[in-house]
Amino acid sequence: MTTHRHRLLGLAALALSGALLLAGCNSGQQDTAAEVDTDAPVTISVSNKPTAESPEELASFERRLEQFTTEHPNITVEAEETEFEPDTFQALLAGGQLPTVFLVPFTEMQGLIARQQVADVTDYLGPHDVLQSINPSVNEVVKGDDGGTYGVPTNAYSMGLIYNRALFEAAGLDPDAPPTDWEGVREAARAIEESTDAQGFATMTTENGGGWVLTTTSYGFGGLMQSEDGTQATVDNEATKEVLQTYREMRFTDDTFGDNFLMNYDDINNAFAAGQIGMYVQGADQYSTMVTTKGMDPEHFGVGPLPQTEDGLGTLGGGTVAIVNPTATPEEIAAAVAWIDHYYFQRYSDEEVARADAEASVADGLSVGVPALPLLDQEADDRYLGWIEDQINVPRENYTAYLESTRTLPLVPEPPVKAQELYATLDPVVQAVLTREDADIDALLAEAQSTVQSAIELG
Amino acid sequence: MTTTTTPPATGATTATGPPPQPSRRTGAVVRWLRHGGLSTLVFFLPLLLCFGLFSWWPIARSLLLSLQQTNFLTSRWVGLANFERVLADPLLLTALGNTTWFTVLALVIGFPVPVVLAVLIAELRRARAIASVLVYLPVVFPPVVAVLLWKTFYAPGAEGLFNTVLGWVGLGPFAWLNDGDMAMPAIVVQATWATFGTATIIYLATLMGIQTELYEAAETDGAGIWSRLWNVTLPQMRGVMLVMALLQVIGTFQVFTEPYVMTGGGPENRTLTLLMLIYRYAFVAGDYGRATALSLLLALVLAVLSAVYLWVTRRWSTS
Repeated sequence: MTTHRHRLLGLAALALSGALLLAGCNSGQQDTAAEVDTDAPVTISVSNKPTAESPEELASFERRLEQFTTEHPNITVEAEETEFEPDTFQALLAGGQLPTVFLVPFTEMQGLIARQQVADVTDYLGPHDVLQSINPSVNEVVKGDDGGTYGVPTNAYSMGLIYNRALFEAAGLDPDAPPTDWEGVREAARAIEESTDAQGFATMTTENGGGWVLTTTSYGFGGLMQSEDGTQATVDNEATKEVLQTYREMRFTDDTFGDNFLMNYDDINNAFAAGQIGMYVQGADQYSTMVTTKGMDPEHFGVGPLPQTEDGLGTLGGGTVAIVNPTATPEEIAAAVAWIDHYYFQRYSDEEVARADAEASVADGLSVGVPALPLLDQEADDRYLGWIEDQINVPRENYTAYLESTRTLPLVPEPPVKAQELYATLDPVVQAVLTREDADIDALLAEAQSTVQSAIELG
Repeated sequence: MTTTTTPPATGATTATGPPPQPSRRTGAVVRWLRHGGLSTLVFFLPLLLCFGLFSWWPIARSLLLSLQQTNFLTSRWVGLANFERVLADPLLLTALGNTTWFTVLALVIGFPVPVVLAVLIAELRRARAIASVLVYLPVVFPPVVAVLLWKTFYAPGAEGLFNTVLGWVGLGPFAWLNDGDMAMPAIVVQATWATFGTATIIYLATLMGIQTELYEAAETDGAGIWSRLWNVTLPQMRGVMLVMALLQVIGTFQVFTEPYVMTGGGPENRTLTLLMLIYRYAFVAGDYGRATALSLLLALVLAVLSAVYLWVTRRWSTS
């Protein structure tokens, strides 16, 4: 009897503490940005602290951090080297170890918003003019269905045609005039194949890369993979059929697609850096990977705009977003946004900071002036590049066509719902077309359409 | 309510009444302490904590997650919905078929190799030690390094290592991993190369333990080498062979590293295995409900296989 009573009391206590906990959570959520005490002491953690392998960048980071804490004496910043990895993000979140400010790729944003794993920072941007003047087409990636803003883009690029300028020259092609349509791509691929040991063209096909590039290329052919509201899969569209038909002809008619059709991100980058591939579709930010990490000659790296057909819609964007931990308190969110403004955007308003950052990067052997999309407006971007002109170590004159396209070629957002699952569904479609000459493109896309639609409806 | 007086707690007994008896529970505790229960518990505690934290709690958590939809901040109970979604996924049958195919191929290709090698090495007189070392060498390769090495061997062009060698005798070039029909057997060959060393050493140890009198008696009866192998060696090894076969089935059902690194599940999902599907649910779709539901389904199948393994080992050990 006594034991029974103790159990009942225990259950009641548990229920009460649970209720109190919930009440506590609710009362916390009722705080709004307007009520935040920005002078109250607060501690935040930030990710992507430069490692000791980049001593100058680390020193620059420390200087910026000191400057920030001087300007905001109530904010304590704990910097970590933690970086985004697809298979550790959830563990960081589940274990309460996710830093308050964390950098994630563009491709993750819509999934994170849908799963409510990022903080809504809309109401905290008010005091930061610069964060409200971000390039609207870039900023689209951090917008939720509810119109809220769930992060701040810190760099952006668009997908383009990456090509090897040395192979272009060897094949008698003009490296300053990359192909602008797919007929041109096929011709260039044939020329490279005939004149060099390299394969003319390649594409990623595994780990969602095949679907990602197919989606991007379909934009250039005028097709979308989902309706704008994300309720309908539109994978089975004419533009995607045309892309796959082009792949098939380059593979089996032109024989310019090589013989390995199981390539992930690293495989294709390694092959390109080694001069084994003439062209492929990828982000313009590959410059840093190729030159800084893989030792490619900067003069050999080329990037042009994503080739478009007459119906072309534009290209897909990519980049990095600073998100805020969804468990952060309003005070922590406000402090996090202040840090993002200070660390990632001060270079656009403060010449001294811009130059110091660039000098540190150059001293560490990193690339400065990599072709990218303007994060703010063109004027701010040009002003920033003017300040660091003497530090730029990237041959930007080689990317004139790409840089001009960043002003004109529209950015098309990623499929709004379950983009990663969509890409995973399309990987086997690309593999089928490249490995089997008799692959039925219509049937493959019809099946993919049904799979993606089911995934959307499953929620 | 009445009170009773009790004898003074001196331990002395009187003839007027029975001595005070400790309660049954206290007696059990005392007995437990006297028999070293406390020290056993102290020694056992770290083990319990380690298993509890890193093994049993994750299993229990998986069970809970499989019944929830969670973003690791808030969770809601969804009953068996995750299991329904897993069972409705057309890729489940593909992955199950591929995993079974891998298991069957691993048994057909991989199982006889160490048996044959062990018998051959056992016949060696002088070079047995060096042969054992050479056979075991692939096992000490870090798995991912070995898989990446084989991936380059399987390069599909004429300049690939295997295609070059086969080209000398007028064969190929083959697409290997790029060919839907060849990809899984190619992965099985690599996996066999990577693991046959351990099985060979175990079989060798078993062979060394067979009494030589049995062979001498067989020879006296006029048995040749094949007859001795069939009538002495294999019957003496059958218990270990069966156990090894069951362990191999359990192990190969959990294949992940080889197809993940070599093919990413391609071409056209022909090498997508159950563990890769779980990985996709968790880390591509961020859907831990489905990932844990499929993990539990797989665990059920493996539990049945493990039960068979236990039953067989007990049966063979007593026979």
